[in-house]
Amino acid sequence: MIVAERKPLEEIKEMIAGYKRILIVGCGTCVTICWAGGEKEVGILSSQLRLAFGKDGNELLTSEVTIERQCEREMVEELRDKVQEVEAILSLGCGAGVQTIAEVFEETPVYPALNTKFVGMPEREGVWVETCRACGDCLLGETGGICPVVRCAKGLLNGPCGGTKRGKCEVDPEKDCAWTLIYRRLEKQGRLDLMRKYYPPRNFQAVTRPGKVEALQA
Amino acid sequence: MGGNNKIVAFCCENSACAAADRAGKIRLYYPDNVRVIRVPCAGRVDVLHILKAFEKGADGVLVMGCQEEACRHLTGNTRARERVKYAEILLKESGIDGERVRMVNLAPEMAHKFAQEVSEMTERLKGLGPTPIKNGGPQR
Amino acid sequence: MQVKIGIFLCDCGGSLRNIDFPKIRGNLEKLEGVAFVDISHNLCLEEGGKALASRILSEDINRVVIAACSPELCEHNFMRLLESLRLNPNFLSIANIREQCSWAHKEDVTGKALELLRMAINKARLLQPLERKEVPVNQEVLVVGGGFSGMESTLELSQLGLRATLVEKGSALGGKLSELEGFYGLGASPKEMLGSMTRAIEEGKNIEVLTSAEVTRVEGEVGNFTVRIRRGGEEFPRSFGAIIFATGYRAGILPRDFELRPSVNIISQRNLIEILQAPEKLERKPETIGFILDVSDESSRLATLLVLNNALAVKEKWGSEAYVFCRNLKVDSDGAEKLYREARATGIAFLKFEKKPQISEEDGRVKVEAKDVLLGEEISLSCDILVVEEKGLPPEGTEALSSILNIGLDSQGFYQNENVYLYPVDSGRKGIFLVGACRGDLDISRASMDVASAVMGVCELLASGKAIVEAEKVRVDPDKCRACLTCIRVCPHGAIRLVRVNTEKEVAQIYDLACEGCGICAAICPAKAIDFEGYTDEQILAEVEAIGE
Ligand SMILES: Cc1cc2nc3c(=O)[nH]c(=O)nc-3n(C[C@H](O)[C@H](O)[C@H](O)COP(=O)(O)OP(=O)(O)OC[C@H]3O[C@@H](n4cnc5c(N)ncnc54)[C@H](O)[C@@H]3O)c2cc1C
Ligand code: SF4
Ligand code: SF4
Ligand code: SF4
Ligand code: SF4
Repeated sequence: MIVAERKPLEEIKEMIAGYKRILIVGCGTCVTICWAGGEKEVGILSSQLRLAFGKDGNELLTSEVTIERQCEREMVEELRDKVQEVEAILSLGCGAGVQTIAEVFEETPVYPALNTKFVGMPEREGVWVETCRACGDCLLGETGGICPVVRCAKGLLNGPCGGTKRGKCEVDPEKDCAWTLIYRRLEKQGRLDLMRKYYPPRNFQAVTRPGKVEALQA
Repeated sequence: MGGNNKIVAFCCENSACAAADRAGKIRLYYPDNVRVIRVPCAGRVDVLHILKAFEKGADGVLVMGCQEEACRHLTGNTRARERVKYAEILLKESGIDGERVRMVNLAPEMAHKFAQEVSEMTERLKGLGPTPIKNGGPQR
Repeated sequence: MQVKIGIFLCDCGGSLRNIDFPKIRGNLEKLEGVAFVDISHNLCLEEGGKALASRILSEDINRVVIAACSPELCEHNFMRLLESLRLNPNFLSIANIREQCSWAHKEDVTGKALELLRMAINKARLLQPLERKEVPVNQEVLVVGGGFSGMESTLELSQLGLRATLVEKGSALGGKLSELEGFYGLGASPKEMLGSMTRAIEEGKNIEVLTSAEVTRVEGEVGNFTVRIRRGGEEFPRSFGAIIFATGYRAGILPRDFELRPSVNIISQRNLIEILQAPEKLERKPETIGFILDVSDESSRLATLLVLNNALAVKEKWGSEAYVFCRNLKVDSDGAEKLYREARATGIAFLKFEKKPQISEEDGRVKVEAKDVLLGEEISLSCDILVVEEKGLPPEGTEALSSILNIGLDSQGFYQNENVYLYPVDSGRKGIFLVGACRGDLDISRASMDVASAVMGVCELLASGKAIVEAEKVRVDPDKCRACLTCIRVCPHGAIRLVRVNTEKEVAQIYDLACEGCGICAAICPAKAIDFEGYTDEQILAEVEAIGE
């Protein structure tokens, strides 16, 4: 699923400064599950905004709604009546959601309340880790179902670097070396010959990986 | 509500409610600006309840649950503690002093602690003055 | 249904003088949906109750708001009263104007009382009926672990007519009973005891024993657990209403406590017992034997028992000199004090240290140097054998089991059980009990007490074959649930599971009987899909709303 994180309130406030009526739209799928943009988070943001505006003596009318999936035009279409009553939309969907809303309601400005982080899975309650970088050329079939692109700190495709030490990564000794994991997994499957397979280099930009999002709430 | 240092106290019915009852029973005479809302466990309290209490004009919020390591529902009080911390962050983001919300752990017989916490929060609120929120702000 | 509220104000025999009741009545009568406001002096007495009942019936109200003493005192009775009038007991909302208002403040608190009432009224408007329903419970019980505690549980259950299945990991029953020679605080020797218990189990009714078997999965909830048991090569499911865990503990040495390498001269209690049982292993009788206890600061009940037992045994068998180095002796188990006196009387020396003794080996002997705090002197003892203390460690697989069961572990890796609100044998999950040494440092007499309370707990849940629950007090709205699993992960009582509603949709579902009504799930659900009747978001916020109106 897509993992996202709420933007700081300050930034959101700046984006919507000057509007008096906004619609806050949550997404009921990925971002609900990672505690970033579901009905509850919509309520929190909306409450925070009313407090912040009220404190400054400014009026802000917020209406709240959470739809099944923001990345579907037909589902976004249901918002039409509500959108007509507001000056701007604040979306708690991922980037795809924001863009779908913007496309459906071209005349109304849409602002993202979240930063979309990665494709990942829950590590435990309240913590999500990146497991796929959506690289577009999936090689999981040959790596024992462990993605080196994400889980290797250097994104190496042809075995570990010289920094692997007792199964840990030299970049972060807390983290497992992805290639050690791959080796072990392939060993279990009796497919160690795959370790010899060569992948030509790809071009990845410098990014810290794997990404991680920890919720502040409990 | 507004003004008068209104405190909303979310009280766990296994501990804090009993402590509050006891405080009355032994006539501890604490400030009368506190309103107890009974909850089955401090873990029932959602950050949204805290935020909305401020929206509706509360000047301070107390979340009162069982002693550390002695929660009737095992993790309710630790979750409440984390949520209060989170609420503090959210309130600060909105420009409201984080000191206006506080987690309190107490056992059912700790009437004095109940009274003391209410008095302390009242004093703190006097120092801070009323919240900048007039009356609930515009509602949806 | 139109909400029609009846309000009863009780002035507690006219004693709540800092509240102006007529003024409150005047104020509330005007509110929408309020049928009447009565002032009573004794709602909790028979007379007051009768008056209340007749008013409820004659005015045909459907919500009852009471301003009186603490709900902890009166709520239950008023609910029963409502029930007797065929009004849903959940249609009751109480304002505590006594303990938390009149009694708590000196000055006039009419204003506060009025606010408390408005809070209660706001909540009352939103209350929904709760139905009670009967659910059947499976009366079979699973007992895991065939040591003393497990066998005793099985026997007691069978005597009470409940069917018990005893699952033991090892090839035979007995646990520590079969490993140990001498036992104190028991009439019989461990072997005799094991013999008679085994016989009783063989002859007992409603008992099934599965040895060399293990539990691999536990699903479901109290009254209806599905357990997977592995035995030999096969794995099979079985259903039980309750589970008693009696997996005992494993004795071990904590190397970090000693910084010592076991050698021929530095041995464990277990080694000593082996030698005592087979003295031919020994070249010559040891003349001086040292025992050492509490090197790390926690003194343990069982370690103390063991040292006393063994020191006495070497004295008796070999006539050796025995010295016990300790920080504290924990003699609070049955018969331990007597044992200690006996040990002193036979000439065993007890030396009390505060600072960890120095231990060194030379010429095949062990030297222990310590400062005795009672004598105030440095003592140096050269002994043939030094016997180090053993600790109770959780049995292998405890961690795995705890995650299967969704039960926490304490800092030492034992099942978590220290909580003032829970009975020691409660696991935090209804229908799962923990007894005996798997909870830590327990001797036989304490283990028997555990067994008795767990068996009582099981009976309470299963004896009648059915249970009464408030149906869907805490409820997941299947249309709103996004199956994020959050609630399932956080429920402290393991009362939620994922159920399939159709081929593509799964949702969380709360099992009424296992739910203890804490509301943690309702507060955390990111989709706001969980409602807790009596404490819904709307009801809580309606109370907040009334403050300062
Ligand atoms: C050396 C020593 C001396 C002692 N001396 C005394 C004394 O003098 N007086 C006294 O009162 N007490 C004494 N005790 C304590 C006494 O032994 C225990 O209180 C008692 O035996 C505990 O019984 P139990 O059934 O709880 O555990 P155990 O006897 O440890 O039985 C646990 C059983 O569970 C089985 N098991 C474990 N895990 C699993 C699993 N996952 N699945 C299935 N089965 C499993 C084990 O194989 C074992 O059979 C002594 C203990 C020790 C270690
Ligand atoms: S909009 Fe984004 S978060 Fe929502 S369902 Fe689509 S991909 Fe998931
Ligand atoms: S290789 Fe890794 S990053 Fe690329 S698609 Fe597969 S899982 Fe995603
Ligand atoms: S927390 Fe809410 S959305 Fe998630 S599984 Fe539970 S009920 Fe469903
Ligand atoms: S109310 Fe508490 S016990 Fe009941 S299902 Fe929710 S979290 Fe579990």
